[in-house]
Amino acid sequence: MVVDEWARVVRHRSVAAGIYSISLEVPVIAAEAWPGQFVQLRLSDGIEPLLRMPLSIADARPDVGEIELLYECVGPKTEALSEIRIDTRLACLGPLGHGFTWPDSAHPSILVGGGIGLPPLLFLGRRLRAAGYAAVLLTGARTGEKHLPVAWLNPAASRVMQSTDDGTLGHAGLVTGLLDAELDDVAYPMVYSCGPRGMMAAVARNCRVRGIPCQVSLEEYMACGIGICAGCTVPVHRSDAGTHSAYGRYERVCVAGPVFDATIIDWDG
Amino acid sequence: MADLSVNLAGCRLANPVLLASGTCNYGEELAELTDLSGLGGVITKTITPSPRAGNPAPRIVETPAGLLNAIGLQNPGIDAFIAHRWPFLQKLNTRIVVNIAADTVEEFARMAVRLDRLQGIAALEINISCPNLKQGGMAFGVDPASAAAVVRAVKQATELPVIVKLTPNVTDITQVATAVEAAGADAVSLINTLVGMAVDVNLRRPVLGNITGGLSGPAIKPVALAMVWKVHRAVRLPVLGIGGIRTGRDALEFIIAGATAVQVGTATFTDPNAGIAIVRELHQYCVDQGISRLSDLTGSLAT
Ligand SMILES: Cc1cc2nc3c(=O)[nH]c(=O)nc-3n(C[C@H](O)[C@H](O)[C@H](O)COP(=O)(O)OP(=O)(O)OC[C@H]3O[C@@H](n4cnc5c(N)ncnc54)[C@H](O)[C@@H]3O)c2cc1C
Ligand SMILES: Cc1cc2nc3c(=O)[nH]c(=O)nc-3n(C[C@H](O)[C@H](O)[C@H](O)COP(=O)(O)O)c2cc1C
Repeated sequence: MVVDEWARVVRHRSVAAGIYSISLEVPVIAAEAWPGQFVQLRLSDGIEPLLRMPLSIADARPDVGEIELLYECVGPKTEALSEIRIDTRLACLGPLGHGFTWPDSAHPSILVGGGIGLPPLLFLGRRLRAAGYAAVLLTGARTGEKHLPVAWLNPAASRVMQSTDDGTLGHAGLVTGLLDAELDDVAYPMVYSCGPRGMMAAVARNCRVRGIPCQVSLEEYMACGIGICAGCTVPVHRSDAGTHSAYGRYERVCVAGPVFDATIIDWDG
Repeated sequence: MADLSVNLAGCRLANPVLLASGTCNYGEELAELTDLSGLGGVITKTITPSPRAGNPAPRIVETPAGLLNAIGLQNPGIDAFIAHRWPFLQKLNTRIVVNIAADTVEEFARMAVRLDRLQGIAALEINISCPNLKQGGMAFGVDPASAAAVVRAVKQATELPVIVKLTPNVTDITQVATAVEAAGADAVSLINTLVGMAVDVNLRRPVLGNITGGLSGPAIKPVALAMVWKVHRAVRLPVLGIGGIRTGRDALEFIIAGATAVQVGTATFTDPNAGIAIVRELHQYCVDQGISRLSDLTGSLAT
């Protein structure tokens, strides 16, 4: 069930350079949330900004009725959110979209996050482990100070490896390099990925070549987040939404995704 | 209890608030989030004779107080609409207006014939004003004679009331309005989106895949109001006002300027309940001002 809940800000702090964690009291959403789903936050009752902002659910705690979101300041909406104080109330629509599905085996799955694509994978890793699956987390960032503290990473995986483009932390180079080395060594039942489109395309290609199932969470620019505007579509080879779909060549990310089987996406389209 | 009902070309609406084409899809998604039966009506996403895939990404971008879109009329086509969308719409307890577009006059008429056979459509809305297509689309809507030809053909093909949706991307919108009135239109709706553009200065590229798009939202409201007022004075047809409506006061501005009913578009993207909230605000306004019949306000602008 999707609800527009009146969220109260319970915690809000900086966790890395330009990256914030915000915890919201939203009991209904917290109870229903599944990894890979997102919320649409309303930052103003007025006309600036006009649209809501989509953010992935980075953790959900049904016991206390809270969700956590992690975001990086990149423009007006994320900057506006970073100014919001504890106890402020915001309209929060969710949980939206379709999330990840479980792997076929309890062998560790790999989670591959690039930049601020990490939040849905952190929620996924926690829930995988709680359900008796295991997870290894590979996470890449431009530079060391953009990496989340290990306190955020460790609950999501039994092993965490970090990379930076500039070599200031962990493996020097792209996170896809770390993935390649892992896939050479171990037969993984599933790769989960979220990050910049180019990175996810590389991960998807690698998995297809090796015959490993891969699920990606796409973050296309969105207006409504609920399937009524068709603004966030991506080109697909085939549709999972059945023959009734209006969305033959283009599928709506907000309702058909944001998580897709990577082989459905037309990465060159 | 104030009376919010309106008579739109012989069709009675419980209140003057409809959801605009392309901003509520075919009703299914919103039915879970808002009470569609509390609205005056729902207008479908434009359907075309064949399915359309739509434009490449990016299709949307937010601009100051507005939204630029170039969806490109992505839709399943009339066959799939009738087979898979209409059964759901038909069961909704609200008025359904079906919005259609085509590349030729003959195709417009053929669609009208087929929709005429369905039970329960309140009216057709003819989209001759989409700015995001290479051909067809706006071409009919910028030329009074072509617009009139489409309307004559559709009127001959159906008994349903015909609403003609006008584009603001013309020198004088009243010329198109008077032409479609003479051709037999039952109502006009305005405005569709204004052609607009956004530039990414880092990449020095257009933000939208289609280069240009259609501007909607609060940014276009004053333009829409002026056009509704002008058209209301130029024709005897009922006018449906559209453009940046997000509150009851916005809707009242349009009604006072001459609109019989209004359509809510972009506002629903931010608040799925926007249409219902506007109905409630209209009712409250009538109670506060001692107005027994809202429709008495249409065109009441004192000048
Ligand atoms: C389903 C979904 C989940 C998301 N989850 C997260 C999350 O957990 N944490 C997080 O920090 N961000 C997330 N995003 C992206 C976030 O919504 C955007 O960063 C935000 O809307 C930017 O708004 P702004 O006004 O601050 O910046 P803008 O000025 O709008 O954008 C700044 C830059 O970011 C790019 N951008 C804007 N919107 C998006 C988008 N939707 N996807 C990709 N790039 C975009 C722009 O092209 C521009 O280069 C998610 C997006 C989606 C669709
Ligand atoms: C994403 C989007 C899609 C639209 N699609 C259609 C469409 O298919 N047919 C149509 O006649 N108008 C379409 N419109 C135009 C709206 O119906 C409306 O005329 C316009 O957005 C102005 O109203 P608003 O400011 O309330 O959004 C679309 C608008 C938007 C924002």
